[in-house]
Amino acid sequence: MQSHSRTCFIAMSRTLCLGMALVFLSACASYSQSFSPVERNLFDNDPAKALETLDKQDYPKRDMFLYYSNKALLLRMLGQFSESNKQLELAKNIITEFSATSVSEESSAFIINDATRSYIGSPVEQIMLHIYAALNYLELNDRDAARVEVLQVDIRLKELTQENPDSALSIDPFAHYLSGIIYEDLHEWSDALIAYRKSYEAYLSHNQLYTIAVPLQLKQSLILMSHKVGIKDELNKYEKEFEIKLSDLISKNPGSELVFIFHNGLAPIKREHAIQVLSPVSGKFIRIALPSYESRSNFVAKAKININNEISQTTELAEDIASLQIKTLQQHTPAITARAIARAVAKYKIADNAGDQSPVAGLLVNVIGLVTERADTRSWLTLPAEIQVARIKLPAGEYRLDIELLNDSDNMVMQPQSVNIRISDQHKHYLSWHRIANTISTRH
Amino acid sequence: MKSPARFVYLIIMTMILAACGTQVSRVAVEETHDLSGAWNDTDSRLVSEEMIKDMLDRPWYKTHNQRHNKVPAVIVGTVRNLSHEHINLNTFVADIERAMINSGQIEFVASSEERQEIREERKDQDLNATETSRKAMGQELGADYMLKGSINTIIDMEDKTQVRYYQVDLDLISLKDNRKVWLGQKKIKKLIKNSSLRY
Repeated sequence: MQSHSRTCFIAMSRTLCLGMALVFLSACASYSQSFSPVERNLFDNDPAKALETLDKQDYPKRDMFLYYSNKALLLRMLGQFSESNKQLELAKNIITEFSATSVSEESSAFIINDATRSYIGSPVEQIMLHIYAALNYLELNDRDAARVEVLQVDIRLKELTQENPDSALSIDPFAHYLSGIIYEDLHEWSDALIAYRKSYEAYLSHNQLYTIAVPLQLKQSLILMSHKVGIKDELNKYEKEFEIKLSDLISKNPGSELVFIFHNGLAPIKREHAIQVLSPVSGKFIRIALPSYESRSNFVAKAKININNEISQTTELAEDIASLQIKTLQQHTPAITARAIARAVAKYKIADNAGDQSPVAGLLVNVIGLVTERADTRSWLTLPAEIQVARIKLPAGEYRLDIELLNDSDNMVMQPQSVNIRISDQHKHYLSWHRIANTISTRH
Repeated sequence: MKSPARFVYLIIMTMILAACGTQVSRVAVEETHDLSGAWNDTDSRLVSEEMIKDMLDRPWYKTHNQRHNKVPAVIVGTVRNLSHEHINLNTFVADIERAMINSGQIEFVASSEERQEIREERKDQDLNATETSRKAMGQELGADYMLKGSINTIIDMEDKTQVRYYQVDLDLISLKDNRKVWLGQKKIKKLIKNSSLRY
């Protein structure tokens, strides 16, 4: 009698523990859900408040890449470029520290879910760390440090190509385009031409995956640089291919240049969706959770810059981060699905074994298995959806810029904002504008 | 029976907890500790010492002494970081300056920023210092040569292995006639193997 009551007590305790675990686990929100307070602040055009909200959130060590990278972009929106770079360096260190495969994390990912692994960013996000660090240095007037980032992004791209040699996504068109602009600014013409060439080839191969045109200004740079380096065959080839004459470009080149970089909207957000798949072991349907991207609404198509009410130019799409993130996830989906199926099969097997001993325990283990089956919805959510560029040739001097935001039909959707800049005859002038924050970050 | 078991348990727990805490130990500045494979204090110190030693052993030094009958005055100009790492050039330039001054074989002129600050001080002395302690304007030592240079890197890699090749170039240029009197070069090669597994 005593033995029976003891067994009952143990069974009840176990049930209670499992029930508590169930309540605890079901309370866990996915990463993308927990980010919504920061997102709300951003949509309210308040990056300072978003930074405050971000700092109040708890980030486990495995998600520190996201904390540093999000903080870096929010600081950049507030014009704190040095502080932003400190955070970007910390995010880079996370990649170095956690890029080796962890035995313990892989085991827990197999038993619980993919989100238990340390996050080191998608390939696009890893490249963006360097791009934003370079842009920060340019706005801080430190071109040599921006050049360091150019070399680092080149190494990162080589690593990605070694990991995935057949993928067009291993080459980033904007990373090379920006490298070309920086080399050109430092008067390293040959390196600039090489970077522009790589960028051109990357735009063509990316256009096969999603729609992205080669920016007109890149075509012009290829013509000007091949002329500067003195490669006549290449110059003739580009002139013919792009139907642009070198003489037209030289006559319009007054010496200096404004490089206006428009960070439009917010990158897509990963959401979890559950699907039923046939178990290869039992032949029964099993439930798995997979991540998929959801676009974030954006009614702004481009920016138009009016200079002293005399010259105006619209921005061109240079990096479609949204499409890159979506395509990268699609590329990884077969592996994610295979892992999820293997995990689900293992969980069902454990539940079956528990069920053989006690139907209640079997049911509870099954429920826990279902609750812990969460998709990994982690991604760098403060990234813009697009990076657009306008390069405007200008003689040295002081200018007033009026920046208009246009929709698809070229209608203005917000009141224009004005900013005064001074352009020197020594170097290019870089001006970044993040639309969600409505903040203009200027380097004087 | 219980107490020895408890004692062993306590020892094990103490060891585990001790292993988790931050440990700090002081090491000699000259000791080499390569952690990440990046450019570090040892590289900066050794490169500057070796290059300045090489610079002072070359014929230009003797020629200058014979021609002018005095030691040369040198100033450090721009050293550019053309590598793939964010190298702290201030410490590298400071190491070069230290190696030059400590050699006792050359006179060393303060940088343009430092000179500006000193000139401000002299201006202030003109107004506020006593006549005996006041330092006159126009008595500065003009440099004979300027040292300029760059740090470059070449990276080769395969999977988790990287070969990093650093090349430091320093040029000593005569301020009188733009002649390059000495070209120094120092190379460092590092093989870095990153683990592909971690706990």
